Amino acid sequence: MITLLKNAKLYDPAHQKNGVKEDIYIRNGHIIAKPSNTEKINKTIDLNGKVVMAGAIDMHSHIGGGKVNIARMMLPEYQEALRYSEPEAHICGPHCAHHATPSTIATGMRYIEMGYTAAFEPAVLAINARQAHLEMGDTPMIDKGGYTMLGNDDYFLRLLSEKADQKTINDYVAWTINATQAIGVKVVNPGGISAFKFNQRRLDLDENNAHYQISPRQILQSLSRAVHDIGIAKPLHVHCNNLGAAGNFQTTLDTMGASDGIPMHLTHIQFHSYAAEGDKKFSSAAAQIAEALNKNKHITADVGQILFGQTVTASGDNMMQHLNTKYANPKKSVIMDIECDAGCGVVPFKYRDENYVNALQWAIGLEIFLSVEDPWRIFITTDHPNGAPFTCYPHLIRLLMDKPFRDEAFAKLNLDAQAMSNLTSLEREYSLYDIATMTRAGAAKLIGLGDRGHLGVGAAADITVYTEQDDKEAMFSKPSYVFKDGELVVKDGEIIKVVWGKTHTAKPAYDQNIEKGLKDYFDKYHTIQLDNFKISNDEIAQDGRNQVINHTK
Amino acid sequence: MQKSIDSNFIKTTCPSCGLLCDDILIGTFPDTIENACQKGIAFFTQKKSPITPSIAGKPATLTQAIAHTIDILKTAKNPIFAGLSTDLAGFRAVFHTAQQFKAPMMHMNAQSTWRNTKVLQSTGWQTTTLMEVKNRADVIVCIGTDVISHNPRFFERNVWNKQALFTDPQARDVIYLGGENLETSAGVSPSGKKPMVLPCKTESLPKITAALRALIQNKPLNATTIAGIAVKDLKIIAERLKQANYAVLIWVAKDLNFAHAELTIQNITESVVALNTKSRAMGLALGGSDGDTTVNYAHTWLSALAPGEQDVNQHDAMVWINSFSPEKPMPTTASPTIVIGNSNLQFTTPPAVFIPIATPGLDCSGTLFRVDSSIVLPLKQTRESTLPTLAEVMTQLDALLT
Repeated sequence: MITLLKNAKLYDPAHQKNGVKEDIYIRNGHIIAKPSNTEKINKTIDLNGKVVMAGAIDMHSHIGGGKVNIARMMLPEYQEALRYSEPEAHICGPHCAHHATPSTIATGMRYIEMGYTAAFEPAVLAINARQAHLEMGDTPMIDKGGYTMLGNDDYFLRLLSEKADQKTINDYVAWTINATQAIGVKVVNPGGISAFKFNQRRLDLDENNAHYQISPRQILQSLSRAVHDIGIAKPLHVHCNNLGAAGNFQTTLDTMGASDGIPMHLTHIQFHSYAAEGDKKFSSAAAQIAEALNKNKHITADVGQILFGQTVTASGDNMMQHLNTKYANPKKSVIMDIECDAGCGVVPFKYRDENYVNALQWAIGLEIFLSVEDPWRIFITTDHPNGAPFTCYPHLIRLLMDKPFRDEAFAKLNLDAQAMSNLTSLEREYSLYDIATMTRAGAAKLIGLGDRGHLGVGAAADITVYTEQDDKEAMFSKPSYVFKDGELVVKDGEIIKVVWGKTHTAKPAYDQNIEKGLKDYFDKYHTIQLDNFKISNDEIAQDGRNQVINHTK
Repeated sequence: MQKSIDSNFIKTTCPSCGLLCDDILIGTFPDTIENACQKGIAFFTQKKSPITPSIAGKPATLTQAIAHTIDILKTAKNPIFAGLSTDLAGFRAVFHTAQQFKAPMMHMNAQSTWRNTKVLQSTGWQTTTLMEVKNRADVIVCIGTDVISHNPRFFERNVWNKQALFTDPQARDVIYLGGENLETSAGVSPSGKKPMVLPCKTESLPKITAALRALIQNKPLNATTIAGIAVKDLKIIAERLKQANYAVLIWVAKDLNFAHAELTIQNITESVVALNTKSRAMGLALGGSDGDTTVNYAHTWLSALAPGEQDVNQHDAMVWINSFSPEKPMPTTASPTIVIGNSNLQFTTPPAVFIPIATPGLDCSGTLFRVDSSIVLPLKQTRESTLPTLAEVMTQLDALLT
């Protein structure tokens, strides 16, 4: 069974194809070379020059796990939100649903309708990994994967404070990735979530966790080294200390230097790019951050753009989220300490364009996007749902690609915020090739998905076909066709077939002896058996759904 | 489905309360159970009833029973799926089937879990999990509950543990505030340190918790006693909570069985919020069983809404699902009732349909959420069984529907 997509206009940065017209052949879920003339083509779709990209990959989106589900449970009013006409709707456009807490079913459906074929949950608490996989398992249409959270778990902090050698750390990190079926490692407010349990309220990069007497810098050095040493493609995913605090950009700049040149990914960097200038002691440090990103080639980042409207912030960073509870809108929040492993904070937010801080946050995100030179090292995210629901991506893409549209939105912002931003002086408009780099080729390369994010022979046939339009928001909202593993699943923006996607993991090798110390620790201090911490492939891949793919070579 | 158990013992997880103790050893030669509490022993030793499906009390094949179930549900205008005592796989399957009939769903514990959900949806809360209690808590306050009536091994496993990472378990202060006829002996430390016990009538808990909250928030309180408890004792508790390195305030929603209990829970959770402005404290809702946490969570991620309370009498047919607890009563309704559940279920009047199914953790494997959320544990099959699982019954039902 061969499907031919004829007259495709390819945007495939992995193969430097920038709008070239080609045909694509699909067989058994993969892209194949042009078959011999004797082979039968079963189905031909003439794309007539439509824009073709690989399926988009969201490298950071909170789609599964405890805090997302708490957000759903806490906010029944969001289910009504679709019917509200938000005052900010003028700036968000008709395609932004303002739906911050979709069900797992809706999550998969909304992603595939936009041409996204994979999303990665960036904050899988190791102890909560089974729930994260259960929720992702109930998310249809797209591929899934997760980054396991380390660096605030007491086992790791004990190892580090006892000056365990790097090999032991490496074995523990590799063991945890295997046990939790992850593809990467994330650290959230390194050491800070633990410090909050000891009643510390802030933790700077070189400040010690009071109990363990170790600093976030040491944690970053140890974990980034471990991720590198055990051969995980995805660089350590870093949510810096001091999330959301005015003046935090210096921590972010210093963090870039904390890994001695080993690759790190700084996530939702917009929330970490704030200076404290001006009357309101809150200002943009986007220029400094972008300059540092341009200079530090070992650092990648995603933006975590905010967009106006109602959303909910769900973070592992309970230390900083506890400070944010006073801004909750509606006024309710959940803060949790979790199992000597991690924590979480769920705080609803309503970002308003007439609010000085919110307006500037919006501008800061865009300033970073437009000032970072290399689209292979910067990624489109809203940190769903923290900055905005992922359904706002087409709107965000238009803001990046369309300067008049951007300027028009800017003109509606809080005037004091306008005065503090250089956004209108940034002339850059992203091209389709740039967008394909950020949302496809770059994301796949970053995570280490060899057969995704590109359209070369051998790639999985996750393919999105758009009809080129001047209104880029309309164009990216409703692809003409989406293929998932070679199957046509979306036509004219409507789902025509339900599929279940795959689960992407890494399975790095480790010394089995690491379990000796772990067994002793579990027996003494844990509340569950060591064996029950580990998640098997069979638990994830059930009924032919969510097949576990191992990306470790 | 049939599977023989041939190893000498199985280490498994007990689903008989929300704690999900996963250190249970079940020996097969000879029959022994280690580490389980009385609830757990009763669960694992329940008898196997060689029972077949029935229609109005008369034996039927599974296919006939399912076909009759479909007839009833298709005739009904507004059926409900209730009970929902099952594990994750069972609930996922029931959810799918209920969707096809546009039927609402309600867990048998909805009345008590909904008290917690109302607080979550109104103000939220600040809570912790068992391992934090085990390793950090130096002050533990049980409010209106002795906990062990619901979670018999709570103190054994999480309070009087031999070692802890950050505190001396023996030195913990245990306080029982409010409640009647509590069994407080579990709060005595192994070295004999006695808990502080301040009982009151259950219906006085709103007053007592409001007073404690006021004291923690440094608000003036012009009374010397409240509901029989001296304010000076409440002040001692408030002060101890403020001085704690890590205080834990525990409640069990089922024990707060009075109107607007959510306001009492909110007094507890807002006390925690007030404490956390300066020191560290956390709330912890315990109790839980029959897969209630699992059903609440899975319903939420599958539908984006937490399940609420329903009146079964507002529905013209009921599917009652009860895998775990044959002793738990079924609500009476005049409408036709389909019972899908444990083979030991007894009926005074036979239901329209009865389909015996496998019990997760006994007749089949399974997955459950622990009561403190976050932790999800596998259940193992611990005896031979030929009973179908709930998911298998639902799959057959779905197949006949289309």
